[in-house]
Amino acid sequence: MKRILTVTATLAAASLLLSGCTGITSTDDDGAVVDASEEALVVYNAQHEQLAQEWVDEFTAQTGIDVVLRNGGDSELGNQLIAEGDASRADVFLTENSPAMSLVENAGLLAPVDPATLDLVPEQYRPTSGMWTGIAARSAVFVYNPDLLNESELPASILDLHDPSWKGNWGGAPAGADFQAIVSAILETQGTDATSAWLTGMKDNATIYRNNIVTMKAVNAGEVAGGIIYHYYWFRDSDSGGENSGNTKLHYFGEQDPGAFVSISGGGVLKSSKNPDQAQQFLAFLAGVSGQTILGEGYSFEYPVGSDVPAKDPLPTLDSLNAPIIDPSTLNGPEVLDLMTQAGLL
Amino acid sequence: MKLHISGVSKSFGPTPVLTDIGFDVAQGSRTAIVGPSGCGKTTLLRLIAGFVEPDSGEISLGDRVLAAPGRSVPAHRRGIGYVAQDGALFPHLSVAANIGFGLPRAGRTERIVEVMKLTSLDAALVSRYPHQLSGGQQQRVALARALAPRPEVVLLDEPFSALDTGLREQTRAAVITALERSGTTTVLVTHDQEEALSFGDGVAVMMRGSLPQSGSPESVFGNPGTAEIAALMGSIVLLPAVRFGNEIDSALGRISVRHDRSAGAESVSAMVRPSQVSLSVDLTHGSALVTGVRYIGPTAVVSLRTLGDPPIALSLAIPALQAQSLAVGAVVGLKVDGGAVLYSASATIH
Amino acid sequence: MVILAIGMLIPVGYVIEATARIGVDELATLLLRPRVGELLGNTVLILVLGVPITILLGVGSAWLVERTDLPGRRFFAILTVAPLAIPAFVSSYGWASVVPSIQGLGGGLLVATLAYYPLVYLPALATLRGLNPSLEESARSLGLKERAVLLRVVLPQLRLAILGGGLIVALHLLSEYGAFAFIRFDTFTTAIVVAYQSTFAGPSAASLGIVLALLSVIVLGIEATARGRARYAYVGSGNARPAQLVKLGKFTPLAILALVTIATLATVVPMVSVIRWSLATKPEMLDGLWRALVDTSLLSLGGAIGAIVVALPVAWLATRHPSRLSRVLEGGYSIASSLPAIIVALALVTVTLNVAPGLYQTAATVTAAYVIIFLPRALVTLRAGLAQVPESLEEAARALGTPPLLARLRVTIPLLFPAIAAAGALVALGAANELTATLLLAPTGTRTLATQFWSAASSIDYAGAAPYAISLVLLSIPAVALLFAQTRGRTR
Repeated sequence: MKRILTVTATLAAASLLLSGCTGITSTDDDGAVVDASEEALVVYNAQHEQLAQEWVDEFTAQTGIDVVLRNGGDSELGNQLIAEGDASRADVFLTENSPAMSLVENAGLLAPVDPATLDLVPEQYRPTSGMWTGIAARSAVFVYNPDLLNESELPASILDLHDPSWKGNWGGAPAGADFQAIVSAILETQGTDATSAWLTGMKDNATIYRNNIVTMKAVNAGEVAGGIIYHYYWFRDSDSGGENSGNTKLHYFGEQDPGAFVSISGGGVLKSSKNPDQAQQFLAFLAGVSGQTILGEGYSFEYPVGSDVPAKDPLPTLDSLNAPIIDPSTLNGPEVLDLMTQAGLL
Repeated sequence: MKLHISGVSKSFGPTPVLTDIGFDVAQGSRTAIVGPSGCGKTTLLRLIAGFVEPDSGEISLGDRVLAAPGRSVPAHRRGIGYVAQDGALFPHLSVAANIGFGLPRAGRTERIVEVMKLTSLDAALVSRYPHQLSGGQQQRVALARALAPRPEVVLLDEPFSALDTGLREQTRAAVITALERSGTTTVLVTHDQEEALSFGDGVAVMMRGSLPQSGSPESVFGNPGTAEIAALMGSIVLLPAVRFGNEIDSALGRISVRHDRSAGAESVSAMVRPSQVSLSVDLTHGSALVTGVRYIGPTAVVSLRTLGDPPIALSLAIPALQAQSLAVGAVVGLKVDGGAVLYSASATIH
Repeated sequence: MVILAIGMLIPVGYVIEATARIGVDELATLLLRPRVGELLGNTVLILVLGVPITILLGVGSAWLVERTDLPGRRFFAILTVAPLAIPAFVSSYGWASVVPSIQGLGGGLLVATLAYYPLVYLPALATLRGLNPSLEESARSLGLKERAVLLRVVLPQLRLAILGGGLIVALHLLSEYGAFAFIRFDTFTTAIVVAYQSTFAGPSAASLGIVLALLSVIVLGIEATARGRARYAYVGSGNARPAQLVKLGKFTPLAILALVTIATLATVVPMVSVIRWSLATKPEMLDGLWRALVDTSLLSLGGAIGAIVVALPVAWLATRHPSRLSRVLEGGYSIASSLPAIIVALALVTVTLNVAPGLYQTAATVTAAYVIIFLPRALVTLRAGLAQVPESLEEAARALGTPPLLARLRVTIPLLFPAIAAAGALVALGAANELTATLLLAPTGTRTLATQFWSAASSIDYAGAAPYAISLVLLSIPAVALLFAQTRGRTR
């Protein structure tokens, strides 16, 4: 028996060694082996992987600093950072929406953003605390299929969608942080009871999809008349041929309706970062002309928020959307999740 | 060197398998341990080999103690060869590699050739694999492998039982020759009494975990310690009898006493072998009714029932030609040669 | 040994610990809500409907290819096992891209039963091959008609194969994520992933995990009760004499039609769709493929070695020194391994974060998850292998003067090598296809074929997902061939 153990111990050591190899190293896109634990900047990225990769490639080209991405969702990564606490290997946290960033900020895990970086972004696109900054923005829209819905039948407000007349006629992806951010805007503007009622209406009326793309695809295919998504999914698809959006149109709620909510994507530096200078440098890059230009010209169709970089054609300007005015740091992620869980959407 | 075993006991959990076993095997001799299946003989062999440790007692080889309370020489340092029932040839190794398994590199090839000759193995088999050998060849390779490192003792566990009758005789003869030539001390276990009696110098009888009798094959066969041992060593006829001095009176008539194991009792059980009984025209000694005649080629098996009370059934094998005059229902006379062995009257056989 | 056992019991411990940590009151709040009822309904329905359908498909096709005079039986025997090489989530993707409206319970049933019926088919086939034909002949000579022979003699002997296969299908249905997420069919596993994505490893995910773990234990219990005192018989040396084939006669076209339909739905539709999409794949989409292959290979290899390291002593104890300890160990492992991958992953996230932060988000942890999830594969194969290497060989080596360890190395290990290789391959290929635990546990920067496929497929990037799907299928073929060969080899 002892002897078996000796053999197994040797094998175990070998397997640990092997797994150790995959743990420490990973190859970057050029195929070069990067050591993730020491030199490279670790970014917990909840933004689209492709966009983040565009940023990272440009940043590495400019500075020579290697970056490793850990991809996930807003809440997943935010909660993960909280669970990890000071032990986290993350240097930078990027989100698609602000509630997850506020969560991490409230847990006291963020370091103040370099004032020079903050100066690049107008005040309405960053929290007053200065613990993180907006790096991009996105607008909620109602995507609809004109074959199934006349312009006259379009909802005036997102709040209308909880009316029984909308039963079976709209869809959304409540499991995603995107939709949850929109709900947090409803919560912020309408209060708990109204939000709760609206969510119950959604549970009754809406077809539940896995994410924004699937929602848009369903509308495009005529499976459902309309859906709540973010604008850039539609523009991206439309730009690459419209396979999943060609039969659809966008309806902007405007008029400071909660449905016209503009969500701020955030970037922050972790207090526990072992490479704080490089982390700040990365954030400055994102908010700077290079980073914002990638938004203004790249594939993503998200709105630039800093360094006066204009949005990509043919996006309507951010100012023209007439979004509700909400301080991004006030959006309450956990309460939204509780309400959605109670409504049976999660 | 003498293999000495004394006071050895072994239990598996609550079940005693061996109790107080003791016997000696003289250097260069061959001893067969015979017993019914499940009597513990394989366990005894594994104790000697060192695969199992005894609970008590001692096993020694010459002046070297192999196993005693609290210490046990591991199997690989005992220098005892072992041939398992199925040969246990390594299926992934050739004949040469199997035989050479326990040999040092130096002189390995020469020794392999030597042992193969010793065990009458064709040199052409050297590069074959076990599955390409016949059963008899496999067993001889197994023996060659065991003998190759020149062990002081070799243990054989029912090595012929898996072979067909004809092959068994032939292989056994080849093995005995090889063992004789090498002069290796050998212990064989078997359930086949004929094999035990013909194998070598000594026979030890094993029953229910103990060794009630051991000695030369002649003494164990001719003077068995109990009726049960007698039956184990070959078919017997057990007759109720009354002693008259140095003779007894029985359903088979008056028979001389060869050995008395009844402690001189008057009413006894007398054991004779069917081979001692012959048909006779003289009805005055003993007589019996013919109840059946069955021909097996040149031999006829005649079933008989004695006329006395209680009637005793027995079967005799006689040449077929002599049986032709016998009809079922006829009464024939019987004669016993060579005397009987007496046991106390309560003796029965299982 | 004990440490290994503790490692294996982490998931079980996690479930118990989570229950205690959350507390009965909060657990009640989290669980006693309509959403959990919906999930429970869905999960129970897919089990109650899905398991019998897979049994019907699996046993039916096994009987057709093994016991009837169906033309092209060998071809159909292989065709029927083919879906096993297509990961369920790939099959689901294939279906969803062909029939976009596929969804819900119906879609879940379609995709899952077609993906999993080979798990019943293989043991049924092995048992049918090993059955002693003289039993059926005796039944016929007693005046039973074909159908009665089938019902009264053949099927009862298949009971263990059906129960064993059904159990595996049920556990797969409980733990499936990708296939169901694709077609909007919510079960506990998909809901746990959603909860994890919303709140990380919090009480919400844990509470659903507790119910899922309970469901798994209930499924195990049902199977154990139905099995009664019977044990999985070792499908023995088989028979030199093949069984008499049933003549299908006028039913032949019907049987062929049935098998062709199953094969078309289970294999042709998803594969054609995957291949069609791969034609639309642009060269730059292949960029990440090589790297995903490397990461996948390393992680799977680690999992395979780990599983063998854990399984070897257990298999050894079980075959060479059966005792209460070895049975307890085996029992514990089988429960731990029956828990869905998502629970194993949640448990490892929680444990590494709180107990061993150094191991958190490392390949070692993913490897550990693979070991826990795929241990039974290694265990079964190694036990069968060890049973084929008689202990007497080692004893013979020892009697020839070889110390025990060396005897093991020179005799047992070489003979066991095919079994070790087979076990390693089965675990590695399982790990290569693993999605749920990999999504949760993969180290930063690590991308496997499965996660890359998932990432592309989730964005409806069907063309981008196709190369990964094809790689996954190609990688799975050797394992399926191995399983199929084992089924045949046992009764050769």
